[in-house]
Amino acid sequence: MLSFFLPLFLVLLLLGLPVFFGLIAAPAILLWMNGQTRDIVLLYRNIYNGMDSFPLMAIPFFMLAGEVMNRSNITLRLVEFSQAMIGHLRGGLAHVNVLSSMLFAGLSGSAVADVSALGSMLIPAMEKQGYTRSFAAAVTAASSIIGPIIPPSGIMIIYAYVMGESVAALFLAGIVPGIMIGGGLMLLIHFMADHYDLPAATRRATWGERGQASLKAIWPLMTPVIILGGILGGVFTPTEAAAIAVGYSTLIGLFVMRTLQWSDLPDVLTRAGMTSAVVLLLVGAAMAFKTVASLSHTPELLASIILGLSDNPLILLFLINILLFIVGMFLDAGPAIIILGPILGPIFTSLGVDSVHFAIIMAVNLTVGLLTPPMGLVLFVTSSVSGLRVETIARATLPFLAVEVLVIFLITYFPALSLTVPRIFGFVH
Amino acid sequence: MSALLGLTNGLGAVNAALLTLGRRLGAFCVALMVVAILLQVFFRYVLSSALPWPEEAARFLMLWMAGLMAPTAFRRGGFVSIEMLVRFLPRRPAALLTILLLLLSLAVLVIGLQIGWSETTGLGGRFATDSLSVPNSLDLSTWVKVPKAWMMASLVVGLGLLISVCVELILRATATLFGQEARLVLIADAAVMGSE
Repeated sequence: MLSFFLPLFLVLLLLGLPVFFGLIAAPAILLWMNGQTRDIVLLYRNIYNGMDSFPLMAIPFFMLAGEVMNRSNITLRLVEFSQAMIGHLRGGLAHVNVLSSMLFAGLSGSAVADVSALGSMLIPAMEKQGYTRSFAAAVTAASSIIGPIIPPSGIMIIYAYVMGESVAALFLAGIVPGIMIGGGLMLLIHFMADHYDLPAATRRATWGERGQASLKAIWPLMTPVIILGGILGGVFTPTEAAAIAVGYSTLIGLFVMRTLQWSDLPDVLTRAGMTSAVVLLLVGAAMAFKTVASLSHTPELLASIILGLSDNPLILLFLINILLFIVGMFLDAGPAIIILGPILGPIFTSLGVDSVHFAIIMAVNLTVGLLTPPMGLVLFVTSSVSGLRVETIARATLPFLAVEVLVIFLITYFPALSLTVPRIFGFVH
Repeated sequence: MSALLGLTNGLGAVNAALLTLGRRLGAFCVALMVVAILLQVFFRYVLSSALPWPEEAARFLMLWMAGLMAPTAFRRGGFVSIEMLVRFLPRRPAALLTILLLLLSLAVLVIGLQIGWSETTGLGGRFATDSLSVPNSLDLSTWVKVPKAWMMASLVVGLGLLISVCVELILRATATLFGQEARLVLIADAAVMGSE
């Protein structure tokens, strides 16, 4: 009977019950019907135990660091840097948009922060230069999903915690796929530039101007170096690195760049705290859900169904990518990872797929899902930033989405793309 | 009907005030968390003398942050859900479905509060935290260990606030069911939330 908790959960979710309540209600109802009232206490206890975690604290800290950097106008310096480097290309501002997203991804772990920060600046700027607003919005939306793929990443921290993986390994594994998405988008823009007659290049920046832009961007660009360097050098844990990123960005904003005011801090703390509170509750509920999932032998049941379809991991990976893509259309990446990770992860690792490789497939696929309607978080935010309808942006995003789907399949079938960097640092054997 | 509207808007005002306080305290918790972990790093790497308490103190603060701030997110519609069906349905069936879903959420919260209360006031809550102490005399000469109940109480408070918000949302959906949504005091818009 307990194995019905997953279908019940899906029904409740489709009816519109918030994921947090569904994660508790579905198993609790079946435990109650089974007379296992003691296990209901265990279920609730696991929510608390799931939240009481030091590694999870990296989430509020990275969110706070992102908020502080956003408020400090660090984005502007990244855009100026990108503009000086590649702004002269045909379709220059579109390229600048993608490169800025990649740089911003190294500071913050969130696609939403990326769209809000870059979109409000670059969409009007691109429009002014002659791009259509829908094209500008599409480039911003499509490139923003690099945020949670290039480290640091909120999604990777959640996955690592729920699945017992190393945060550092997942961070490192995301670097190449993130760069591939950025590179792929820039390649597409290059081809589109000729075909659609995108605005001509602006004047090439002199080396002196480039040097000046680099100097101005040096402070924010040091952040990923500090974060990754500290974690990989064994100096800090990811949580400590995140706290240091907060301290560093606050000091830079307040005293070096002087673009952050003391009066900005309460709002910044509130926004980061509130967003993290929701994520923490979800992760806690997911840990409880995971306990019941293993009690009910659901993973084994699903494994036998999935293995019944084929015993070829390559075919199964193809099918799972399609499933994840469909899930991504309806659910945000974080909750989807929380729900599906514990169920799908063990099946694929038992088939010989490396657990870090599978984590990256899931994370990238579900992050791309933020771009797909009807429930695409990035589409919603881009819509509010650009003033365009969600459908218009979704349509304009399609060519970019095709590139991202291609990258998903490349990283699925060429594990070395995600595993080489963590292997070099000894996180994957 | 006016009694329902009065009750809804009254509870809304109480919730708004309580949650404003919750957000402020929560933001303070976030700031203290950062300070605690930066101190930990400073003492361990710069002074080579690790402090025993920052990690547990930061976890303590993080749990309180979640308990105090998540109810605001719930009130502003920031809990992730698939709302397609509710949006697709006409007003009345949509309000009815919302009420049913909120009643189920309320049941989850009430059971959680019962369990949380008995855990916090029970044996588990009486154990001391590993490293946290508070002074129990004005001259700071004697200190006592902080019981785990103080940490667990974060979830009890959070669940209490969530219940209060849930009841308000049920009342709002009931008013909507009877076509009175225009007379409800607006809730501030939800910020976009999530780890994405």
